[in-house]
Parts: sequence; structure tokens; C-alpha cells
Amino acid sequence: MDEGLSFEQALKRLETITESLQKGGMPLEDMIALFEEGASIAKICHEKLDKAELKLSEVQTIFENDNESGEPDK
Amino acid sequence: MQVYSVARITGYIRDILESDALLADVWISGEVSNASGSSSGHLYFTLKDEASQIRCVLFNRKRLSIDVENGMAVVAHGHISIYEVSGAVQLYVDMIQPTGIGVLHMEFERLKAKLEEEGLFEPSRKRPLPEYPEKIGIVTSPGGAVLHDITNIISRRYPLAELVLAPTAVQGESAVRGIINALDALNGRGDIDVIIVARGGGSIEDLWAFNDEKVARAIYSSRAPVISGVGHDTDFTIADFVADKRAPTPSAAAELAVPHSGEVETRLQSYIAAMAAALSGEIERSRQHADEMYTAMSHQIDNVISINGEKLRGQELKLDSLSPLSTLERGYALVQSHANGKVISSISQVERGDTIAVTVADGRFNGRVTGAKKGIQTWMKGFPSNRH
Repeated sequence: MDEGLSFEQALKRLETITESLQKGGMPLEDMIALFEEGASIAKICHEKLDKAELKLSEVQTIFENDNESGEPDK
Repeated sequence: MQVYSVARITGYIRDILESDALLADVWISGEVSNASGSSSGHLYFTLKDEASQIRCVLFNRKRLSIDVENGMAVVAHGHISIYEVSGAVQLYVDMIQPTGIGVLHMEFERLKAKLEEEGLFEPSRKRPLPEYPEKIGIVTSPGGAVLHDITNIISRRYPLAELVLAPTAVQGESAVRGIINALDALNGRGDIDVIIVARGGGSIEDLWAFNDEKVARAIYSSRAPVISGVGHDTDFTIADFVADKRAPTPSAAAELAVPHSGEVETRLQSYIAAMAAALSGEIERSRQHADEMYTAMSHQIDNVISINGEKLRGQELKLDSLSPLSTLERGYALVQSHANGKVISSISQVERGDTIAVTVADGRFNGRVTGAKKGIQTWMKGFPSNRH
């Protein structure tokens, strides 16, 4: 799988491959090549899911910590 | 200088409050908020106006002829005292009457109608949420349970995602500015796939920033689609109406934002299964095709063989018919000179007294020439005199 491929793009590609395989009408060697590509994409997706750990970052905002107590203001 | 215990002081305050003629018998008008009934039949709520609020308790609410609901403008009667356990000054209500709908609710309805008229809530402009978001913006308070819940849920369901927190106050004076700024900060990055705007449950004034027109417009013009998860599932805010997707709670918003990795795994498996089925089907078809070609070829070869076989048999028959043996079988005889073995085909080759060898179909015998005469009987004409 191309490194530049997002997870969503990878799944899209997998869907396309599956559809063309199901449609058939191409030489067997081409089908085998497509299958190999699909299987490797699926494997990479699976590994990504397996190894993923949620990342949390923060953007700078004007947040002023003025109301954390939850008390009504004024 | 004397130092008092807390109980002494709260007791003192109570004495003063309860001895005051005005506070002992007072009517107060305001808007009901934070109403909650207890199982023992008491009703607790807050009465408020733009500037302030006071806690109220109504013992044995079954005596009430009306249902007290949040947002209701009421006039309540009772006496003021202090609840020493919490130190809260409150109105002990013995009578309550509605005076119409509260100003916050009126404002809510006014703004809702206005924005609806403008088309900000149009279903057709709701954008679809990305199926597999990579970066999820979170607009909420950085300290609260809400962020914790959202992080937990997304971490469990779809840890592939990256959360980008845009911290903001979610109530109070700075909340409106903060929420708008947080949305701007996230949209300004350009890489956020979906934004969750969330806040935990609270009273209508706690949630009021989410009923603000400027916040509504900021959500409407957000580049990334927005999921709102504000308050509890019974709370509806203007932000909910304008968001691309409304979730009943912050946790529900987190669940709506991402797929479940289990479902993704299932989808991956089904792709693999479908691909394998398609490929093995094709291989099976190819095999069948090869089998068919093989069978057809075999038939062809068999045909060639059998056609040639027939030809061969024809040749054999022909050969048979040419063999002298079959001629002998028809009653002809082969005559040879006994002396030199030459085949005798003319009377000129023999003389009286010569020994000849005669071959017939089943054997040979010798004979002697006793005479010869030229010519042949008429009936024998037409027989070939020499087959070679």
C-alpha cells in the first residue's frame, strides 16, 4: 500500500479492487496481481487498526481559564 | 474577640432571617430553572432573573395544582431562611403561580424561528460526516468530564483518529467568544475532518452560549462538518439545530464521529473473502476451460485416429484382395516348373513329360505335363490371365 494513502483511501481502493475482481473479464494473471495488491492493503489496514493509539493534541485558542468552577458568572 | 463555630453563625443568620417580617411572608417573581423533584415528593428549583437567582424548595409538591417546569415564569410565595447543612439561603415555597413563558425561552424561540427562516437549519445543507476521519476537532472545556468521555470513547472505538482539542469556556461570559474562536482555530488548520462541539448537562442558562446567534453562525459557516453534543438528550439548543449532526450527549457525539474498529475489521474480512471468492471462481473457470479444451482435443485426436484406422482397414482389405491366397481360394492354382521354380504362364514354358509343382489354397502337389494345346476355352475369357 502506498504510504501516502489514507485509511479511507485504502478502503476505497480495496472496494474498487474487490469490484473489479468480481466483475472479472480480465486475464487471470491480472486478477492474481489485483488480489495480491488487495490482500496487502487489507493486511496493512488491519495492522494499522491493531497498532493504533489515540493521539491527542491541542490548538491555541483564546481560552481563559476563567470559568472552570462552573459557577454562574457575575 | 470571639470566634464562632459555623453552626453558631448559621443559626444566628437563621434567627435574623426568620425574625424579619418581609422575609417571612414574601412574593418573588422569576423564572424557574434547575427544577428537580425528589422521590420524597419535594420539589427543588431555582428562581432567577437576569441579575441573580435564589434557591427554592417546595415540600410535598403533590399539593401543587400546576407542573413546575424549567423556563416557566412564576410568582412564588413563602418564607426565606437558611438551610444550615449547606449554608444556602432559600425560599421555602408554599404557593406558586405561572406568569407566562420565561424570557430565555422566548429568546430561544425567537432566534430559532429567525435562523430557521434564514435556512440555517435546512436538511439539504447538512453535510455528511466523514466515514473514517483522521483528525477530529473537539471544542469543549479542557478540564471537564466531557473531554475525558470523548477521548475514552474514540480511543476504544477508533484509535486511528487523532483528536485536536480547541479548549474553550463553555459557559459564562467568555463562552460565546471562546467557542467561535475555537471553531476558527480548528478550521484554520485546514486538516480537520470533523468537529465535535460538546458540553455536559446543565440548566438553560448553563447551556446558553449554545443558544447564541453568533455561535450558531460560526457553526453554520464551519469548514469541517460539526457534530453537536450539548447537555442531555432532552436539551435542544440552537447549536443542535444548526449543526450538521445533532448528538443527544457528548458521548453520543463521540460515537457518531468515528466508526467502530470492529466493524472496520469485519469490512476488511468481507473484502478479503469477496476477493478470494472472485479469484478462485476465476481459477475454477479457467480450470474448467482447460478441461474442456483438453476433452475437445482428445476427441479430435480420437477422431483422427479412428478415421485413419478405417483408412488402414480399407487398405488391409485392399491388400487382402490383392494377395494371391485369396485368388487361390477362389479355385485358381499357381503352376511352377518343378525344375527351376519359375511360374508357368504360357504353354511355351512346358513340354510333355515335365514335372510341374501346383499350388492351391491349402497346399501343393506335383504333376506331369501330358499334353498342351494353345488357346483357351471361350467361357474362361474375361478372366485376367495375369494378375500381376
